[in-house]
Amino acid sequence: MPPLHEPIPPDVLEWCQAELGLETVPAEGPEVPRDRLLAFARALKDQHDFWFFLYCASTHYPEEGSAGEEGHKPDRTLVAYRVRRLPHAASGRPTQTFPFRVWVPTGESTPSLAEVWVGADWQEREQFDLVGTVFAGHPDPRRLMMPEDWPGHPLRRDYAIETGHFPWR
Amino acid sequence: MAVDESGQAFRHPAYGMIEGLTSLPGVDLAFTTADKVLTWGQANALWVFPMATSCCGIEFMATSANRFDSDRIGTIPRATPRHCDVMIIAGTITVKMAPRVKKLWDQMPEPKWAIAMGSCAISGDFYRDIYSVVPGVDTFMPVDVYVPGCPPNPDGLLEGIRRLQEKIRNKRNGAFVEPDKRPIAGLQAPSIPRIGDPDRDPAIDAAQLEAVQQLDPDGGMRRSSAPPAPTRPVRKED
Repeated sequence: MPPLHEPIPPDVLEWCQAELGLETVPAEGPEVPRDRLLAFARALKDQHDFWFFLYCASTHYPEEGSAGEEGHKPDRTLVAYRVRRLPHAASGRPTQTFPFRVWVPTGESTPSLAEVWVGADWQEREQFDLVGTVFAGHPDPRRLMMPEDWPGHPLRRDYAIETGHFPWR
Repeated sequence: MAVDESGQAFRHPAYGMIEGLTSLPGVDLAFTTADKVLTWGQANALWVFPMATSCCGIEFMATSANRFDSDRIGTIPRATPRHCDVMIIAGTITVKMAPRVKKLWDQMPEPKWAIAMGSCAISGDFYRDIYSVVPGVDTFMPVDVYVPGCPPNPDGLLEGIRRLQEKIRNKRNGAFVEPDKRPIAGLQAPSIPRIGDPDRDPAIDAAQLEAVQQLDPDGGMRRSSAPPAPTRPVRKED
């Protein structure tokens, strides 16, 4: 059975460890600080040839513990990205992908990557629409899937389904 | 039906085509009522607007294609609602889609009919409780014939069209009966808990309504920097 995650290419792994100061990088990708995300993405595209944006996917994590206590984690979303580079004939490099992740506390925002990869535009709109992650500097920050006047973000764990705003229910 | 000189009934060759057509013997003349001719025309030229939003649309395409060929009974799909007599809603209708469906329905000229094809169009089926799905198109527009199935096969849709033709004829003849009754007495859709139901805990209702009021009414990234963080109350254990 193949591994769940493709292994991270060795050259990017080394660069990533040096860039972010990490000893080990998990197979599901390094966690990039939000303030360094844009520079990290630009370097991935310009220096490492990852010019193809595969996806970004958000997950909402509710608050754990209470404020001030040990082990307290605030209400937050995790955005997972994956980018791809195509085969390179001269070096014999096959198609490779690279994942990275960003934690975004609720109420704050993460930089939009739509200016680096155009393909991130609608993906980020979808993530905002359904999960409520706010992407700062997005060129067109409208909802993508739900109606324009929809209240709330339906894939959040704390979303109240019985919202009662359906005229036909 | 007329009677000729010898007292025998005389039947015009077109009798079977138009119900109630009478003719005189020896004269190239037939009599009927305008209503019956109109009914004959309407029931046999049901141009359909394919409101196909999901997998039922594939069965609708199969019904229109050459094996089942619904064109042969006058059911010709048209690409604009302004040409059409029947809207066949084939698929799940979401909350975002429902106003568009209603707008297309309003653009169809009278007289017009609607067929709800498949479980989703009839009741929402197992998507019924999803936040974005309309539980049946008859919640916002009239439906004449329900064709159950998930999806119904082309035979089922053809039977639905036949039932609609029957309904049109019966209505014109003044013998209108509602063709689709719930077959088993006492069979009901499962009850789904809603805010305000008598068997629900009022405390949960109050908490949920409060959570709704906390939601950002604008719902826009542009307007507020902080996304809404409503608290979902714990559901009552059944």
